[in-house]
Amino acid sequence: MTSQETEDGESGNLTIKEFQEAIREGKIEGYKCRNCGHKQIDIIDFCPVCHKSNLEKIEFAREGKVLTYTIQQVAPEQFMNEVPYAWTIVELDDGPKVTGWIPFISKSSDLPIGQRVRFKKSYLPGIVFEKI
Amino acid sequence: MTKYGTTEEQLANVAVKNHENALYNPNAHFHKKITVDDVMNSVVVASPLKLFDACPFSDGAASAVLCSEEFLRKMNGHASEAIKIVASGRAGGTGALHQRPDLTTLNAAVLAGREAFKQANLGPKDIDFLEVHDCFTIAELVALEDLGFYPRGQAAKATEEGETKRNGETPVNPSGGLKAKGHPVGATGVGQVVEVYDQLNDRAGQRQVNNARVALTHNVGATGGSCAVHIFEKR
Repeated sequence: MTSQETEDGESGNLTIKEFQEAIREGKIEGYKCRNCGHKQIDIIDFCPVCHKSNLEKIEFAREGKVLTYTIQQVAPEQFMNEVPYAWTIVELDDGPKVTGWIPFISKSSDLPIGQRVRFKKSYLPGIVFEKI
Repeated sequence: MTKYGTTEEQLANVAVKNHENALYNPNAHFHKKITVDDVMNSVVVASPLKLFDACPFSDGAASAVLCSEEFLRKMNGHASEAIKIVASGRAGGTGALHQRPDLTTLNAAVLAGREAFKQANLGPKDIDFLEVHDCFTIAELVALEDLGFYPRGQAAKATEEGETKRNGETPVNPSGGLKAKGHPVGATGVGQVVEVYDQLNDRAGQRQVNNARVALTHNVGATGGSCAVHIFEKR
């Protein structure tokens, strides 16, 4: 993958559509700030830490650990057939955090905090993880 | 809960208190007394939050008239019930939960509260009661800690011990809050101001807080992406 150059004042070029397409292809994409090194997955125009717009688009690790989660029992329409599942924040091995979900989790003993998980390419919406 | 040992029953106490307050608010969405068991037995929505931990969507409206001191002078004693805004703090924060270094605080609320207390030259001890954005039971506890009314992790125990009841040391949400007065999203913030107006004018009926002279409102939007804190005084 080629990284895309950005300069002060310009947007970082990764659109929500591109981000979602990358997810469909099995890749988690986001930014690394060339100025301060901060890594972030959300669609941003400038670095929230140093406020510079010198961002590099990169691909992140597909594995990480569960920081926290809720077990969703009542879900929005897209996820209605998936309940119960864990809606989780995962810290990827190369640093950034991302919100995703893990199917087939119905009780807290199914998913200890710190559980190692892997991003899974899926036709389902959102960023799907599975336990390693 | 992992960090401070807060229990689901302690969360339930927030809902029970706010429903109790709303019994005496004729404009509240719910006039229904509930118990800790009612909350604990309600359907789980997203663990550990259950149906009775959540505020409802409500229909509603609220209004306030803003005017200058000069205008009030020209009113020659009319509008004598007007209250004074002594501080107005607002701050932003990240909307995405996963970007937050700490999930037990809203940085926007910490900053907005600090700004408001600085403008008013007051501190939490000077506040006679407050209306906070209790969209969920846990949000009331986080608000009280963000605003400095309790040290981190201690608002749950204080609530359990009744300190935030109408007649407690720090009355919180005498209106019933978002939880029981209701959450008509666009009207919620001004609705808090209406409660402050009634309380500071000693016209809140059975839910009146004794000797209410200084009050604070805390309103949150965008999952904590924005927070406004105001402090009001009787003139």
